[in-house]
Amino acid sequence: MISQVFILSSKGDHLIYKDFRGEAGKDAVNKFYEMVTALTGGQPPVVMKHKELHFVHIRQGGLYWVATTKADASPFTIIEFLNRLTALVKDYCGCLSEKSVQMNFALIYELLDEVVDFGYIQTTSTDILKNFIQTEAVSSKPFSLFDLSNVGLFGADTQQNKVAPSAAATRPIVSSQGEQGGKNEIFVDVIERMSVVIGANGVLMKADIEGEIRVKCYMPSCSEMRIGLNEEFSIGKSQLSGYGAAVRVDECSFHQAVRLDEFDTYRILKVCPSQGEQTVMQYQLCDDLPTAPPFRLFPSIERDSGGRLLMYLKLRCDLPPKSLSQELSSPDQSAELQPKNKAVHWEIPRFPGGAQLSALFKLEVSGLSAASLQEVGPVSLSFELPKYTSTGLQIRFLRLSPIQPGPSQRWVRYVTHSDSYTIRI
Amino acid sequence: MTDSKYFTTTKKGEIFELKAELNSDKKEKKKEAVKKVIASMTVGKDVSALFPDVVNCMQTDNLELKKLVYLYLMNYAKSQPDMAIMAVNTFVKDCEDPNPLIRALAVRTMGCIRVDKITEYLCEPLRKCLKDEDPYVRKTAAVCVAKLHDINAQLVEDQGFLDTLKDLISDSNPMVVANAVAALSEIAESHPNSNLLDLNPQSINKLLTALNECTEWGQIFILDCLANYTPRDDRESQSICERVTPRLSHANSAVVLSAVKVLMKFMEMLPKDLDYYGTLLKKLAPPLVTLLSAEPELQYVALRNINLIVQKRPEILKHEMKVFFVKYNDPIYVKLEKLDIMIRLASQANIAQVLAELKEYATEVDVDFVRKAVRAIGRCAIKVEQSAERCVSTLLDLIQTKVNYVVQEAIVVIKDIFRKYPNKYESVIATLCENLDSLDEPEARAAMIWIVGEYAERIDNADELLESFLEGFHDESTQVQLQLLTAIVKLFLKKPTETQELVQQVLSLATQDSDNPDLRDRGYIYWRLLSTDPVAAKEVVLAEKPLISEETDLIEPTLLEELICHIGTLASVYHKPPSAFVEGSRGVMHKRLPARTGSGEGTECPDVGNAAGGSAPEAAPSIIPSQGDLLGDLLNLDLAPPTTTGPTPSTSGMQMGGMDLLGGGLESLLFNMVSHPKMGAGFGAAPAVMPASLNAPVGGGLGDLFDLGGGVGMPMGAYIPPKTVWLPAMKAKGLEISGTFARRAGVIQMELVLTNKAMSVMTDFAIQFNRNSFGLAPAGPLQVLTPLGPNQTIEVSLPLSTVGPVMKMDPLNNLQVAVKNNIDVFYFSCQYPISMLFVEDGKMERQVFLATWKDIPNDNESQFQIQDCHLNSEAASNKLQGSNIFTIAKRTVEGQDMLYMSIKLSNGIWVLAELKVQAGNPNYTISLKCRAPEVSQCVFQCYEAVLKN
Repeated sequence: MISQVFILSSKGDHLIYKDFRGEAGKDAVNKFYEMVTALTGGQPPVVMKHKELHFVHIRQGGLYWVATTKADASPFTIIEFLNRLTALVKDYCGCLSEKSVQMNFALIYELLDEVVDFGYIQTTSTDILKNFIQTEAVSSKPFSLFDLSNVGLFGADTQQNKVAPSAAATRPIVSSQGEQGGKNEIFVDVIERMSVVIGANGVLMKADIEGEIRVKCYMPSCSEMRIGLNEEFSIGKSQLSGYGAAVRVDECSFHQAVRLDEFDTYRILKVCPSQGEQTVMQYQLCDDLPTAPPFRLFPSIERDSGGRLLMYLKLRCDLPPKSLSQELSSPDQSAELQPKNKAVHWEIPRFPGGAQLSALFKLEVSGLSAASLQEVGPVSLSFELPKYTSTGLQIRFLRLSPIQPGPSQRWVRYVTHSDSYTIRI
Repeated sequence: MTDSKYFTTTKKGEIFELKAELNSDKKEKKKEAVKKVIASMTVGKDVSALFPDVVNCMQTDNLELKKLVYLYLMNYAKSQPDMAIMAVNTFVKDCEDPNPLIRALAVRTMGCIRVDKITEYLCEPLRKCLKDEDPYVRKTAAVCVAKLHDINAQLVEDQGFLDTLKDLISDSNPMVVANAVAALSEIAESHPNSNLLDLNPQSINKLLTALNECTEWGQIFILDCLANYTPRDDRESQSICERVTPRLSHANSAVVLSAVKVLMKFMEMLPKDLDYYGTLLKKLAPPLVTLLSAEPELQYVALRNINLIVQKRPEILKHEMKVFFVKYNDPIYVKLEKLDIMIRLASQANIAQVLAELKEYATEVDVDFVRKAVRAIGRCAIKVEQSAERCVSTLLDLIQTKVNYVVQEAIVVIKDIFRKYPNKYESVIATLCENLDSLDEPEARAAMIWIVGEYAERIDNADELLESFLEGFHDESTQVQLQLLTAIVKLFLKKPTETQELVQQVLSLATQDSDNPDLRDRGYIYWRLLSTDPVAAKEVVLAEKPLISEETDLIEPTLLEELICHIGTLASVYHKPPSAFVEGSRGVMHKRLPARTGSGEGTECPDVGNAAGGSAPEAAPSIIPSQGDLLGDLLNLDLAPPTTTGPTPSTSGMQMGGMDLLGGGLESLLFNMVSHPKMGAGFGAAPAVMPASLNAPVGGGLGDLFDLGGGVGMPMGAYIPPKTVWLPAMKAKGLEISGTFARRAGVIQMELVLTNKAMSVMTDFAIQFNRNSFGLAPAGPLQVLTPLGPNQTIEVSLPLSTVGPVMKMDPLNNLQVAVKNNIDVFYFSCQYPISMLFVEDGKMERQVFLATWKDIPNDNESQFQIQDCHLNSEAASNKLQGSNIFTIAKRTVEGQDMLYMSIKLSNGIWVLAELKVQAGNPNYTISLKCRAPEVSQCVFQCYEAVLKN
């Protein structure tokens, strides 16, 4: 049972405050801000307690989204709820920022009223909510392709937000007044996150992929969409794939709105996408990757005669040469020593498939001994591979029925992110 | 135009301006004005003055405006109850509106206006809305019943809303069902025995059907409700499990966890050899693994839950070790939780893999994480015997890196490894000694000193090493000082000839130059021990230590059971029962896992055969007696009489050994010594008490000290029972508490001995009592000023007052105590001798005595026999007086001494006694009269205890 919900800016300004059960005072808001800013790195921020009140919060769009409870409520429920709430606000207001929340406070209050009643979560589905919501969203700026807001590529959470975002997916879903750029569009994104550990001897110790298919729908009247996956797509460890090309995952879960009657035979997902963004399928693959991991490192660490630490790193990208941008390695690589993290940060803007880069770092380390060479490493990579899925999952087709009147656009996009890609030395 | 302008700063006439705008004729302008009002409300400005004007805008057909006005009303109605009445008419009207949205909105808002006067108007509209044709209205009305119940529970019962709500469980719309279940669950929590949620196979069936149809959030309500049901037999249990299992693949993690909770609970009832049991175990692993790919916040919560599940049923995740390997970019709090689970899952099968990982972690950057990784290596060694050797060599490798904190952690864990596998790895001591200088943390220094002391006979220069520590003795932390003291005494007992000077030096440092009572006490004890009986000293100090247990930080089994019933809730994140952090009576019902019933086909018994691997933890609850009740709320306990008089387990630490040797009788003696440490040698010798310790290889200082002890003339003191163990270490994560009660100079003291038998330092001690028969309460905080290091013991005297809250206990002198430290809260109960409560001014006037004796009805008299007491009446009287039992008169009739005595309890109750003592007869007869006859039994016990000691 949720007692209060509030949204704070990163500076602690009250943007939204809603009390559902009248059991806690408004001073909780300031108390929360005090506590959250006093947290040290090692403390888990997830659940905080002040007297009888428990705070659960997430950070999205630079804002604190907080729910409080006095009962022995489920933190899973609350975190999931807060995530949905941010998604809803994003769907309704276009993007998540202090400004958009501030501008649409009346709308957000109205949403909260429908979404939660007396602390019980009622619904977070845009389909149901659109029947009730009266207030119209106020967009911060007219929609523009050049709007480089802080949303990552395809709206996915990336580690590197410097990649030019696709602003197409950052506008409010419901907007009746004048179709300002309001095309009939549907985006299907296949997003995979890799976590890989490669041992010091070059052996692949662990390789996991978590993937999801996200649909972002701007079509007001789309009754059914059929998403066709690879025909050889198989689930589970037991099923042997046989000849090569099969795509396999260990685990697979679907949004509850997905109908799977054609999935077993034809690998077709049938969805009636509601407006806004939703994850229709999530999947995982552990250890048994169909291809080699995309990057390999050949390090050599030694002490030179002057007592300096020498790190010679050769990094190779094992993707097929055509799979990535063909531009040659641009000269604007940079490297920097970060004493605070005890790390060397090497940045490579573009890295074509099949290429190899190398770097030599010389470090002055006081009191360098043979044993301290053991301390060097690991190397951690973060990257984004557009137009690439490491499981090999593909969308064969995307069909809408009934056939949409007027021009409609369907986009399918693939991307693989590094979640944690570690190479030990 | 955007809404952000509403947030611009207030000017003076703002309220006035808003008022004008609110009363404008134009709808748009009104709406804008209400928006501005709400914006001000959000940022915390007081706009309650506009109440009447805003309420005036309520009657509109514009839904958007109406919603805004309602929002305002909810916020301010409470502070303006009279004004709120103005709105009632509109509400009632809106509840009849043809538009279901408006009907629902009205009933929802009315419930949120927490004003008593409004509730009476709410009843009729609510009744209608509960039967409304539109499900949206019905589901809103269902929640409204819960709201109303929160404001006025009686009203809800009187109006029969609860029955209507129960009917809604069978509603055709799943959303309505879900809300009805949620509302009923909440109401049921405040009426624990009301049987509101009448869960029976039929209603469960309905819920399971609704489960498939409702929204994800509704599924959570229903699953949580299911978790409270206890199936009749294993078949029903299995069929529910089968229908819940599909939820495990839901995308919403809260649904998954609620399903896991139901399954974990109902699994308890399934026979283990059932095929389905195995299937279910297999099905539980993937969803748990999936949770680990969520955001870090969810991962953390999931890991805390997995930690519980792994302790309860390690077999579920035993093959999934890899997913708990730490990712480089995990936040530190996730990393630490993962490490914990890795150790719990470590077994012979996967230990090589785990060790390889841990070694990697030990060279990472984050200090906290590295430390924990090093500790984890040590714990692996202790847990998996086959890996011990590899662990030790890994630790040695790490010591070679010379990274300061790594070395220190390694030494701390190696100490534990030595204790677990004595005489196996001592060859590494030389390497350890090389790093002596780099140790700057107390725990590591203490560990190293312990090692040197323990293996003094194998270390040639042990005396030099210890002496080097001695130089800065006073700058060391208590932990190190205590350890050094013990180590040097050990060394002395092993090599008496060379180290006499050293031991004298440390003893005088500890006893004379230190302000720390713990250190002084321990110093004195060693000193006396050495001077009295070196052989005994050897037996005590060099006693064989019990092996340390495999798992140090397991959650106590009954608590674990309760937490398993709360999977997915805050309790599972805090690892505390909800009663520890949820206010009031809500949620304090203790949940238990169901017992395995079986359907009588005898399939469920052969549990014994496969007890080798996974079933060990299951067996644990039966080994440890039911401490569980104690873990709950101290306010509504139903515990069995605690085992205060149980045999003291053979105490492990040498400190404790020392105490036992001195025996209970010396307690008061020590007390005096400590309180007058500077008394010096001024006391006359008491050679009768001094044994022939002259040959002891210690100087004269010891003699003096001993004289002091023997020479203090103790007046006949109050009876103090010997210390007993109240809280064994195994039930309190390594904290052992023993103690007794005493009355000294009119002050009741609770004398506690806290021993840390865990491997980590304990701090932040605090104590609390439950309400008890005589209102005993701590008169001050528990004074444990220094952290209590591993293997350290501390004695604390806690003065008690008798002005705390009173509740009658059974037995009367039962006291339930909660002790908190940085690790957890522990509960135990003990019984105090009622003689503690006998006050000093308990001597009654003879006349009053006679009158009172007559006045008390004979029914209140009780008679007891005291057997085998060989004191004459004089001695008995003296002895009793020491405990504030006053003899008022004595009469001799036919060779029988009749002693008349009075006692006054701290709460003003008088107890009158007549004691018959016959010369030559060791059996006394005692008659007690009191207006509160319940105390007689306790008083009698005191007589017996006092006279026989």
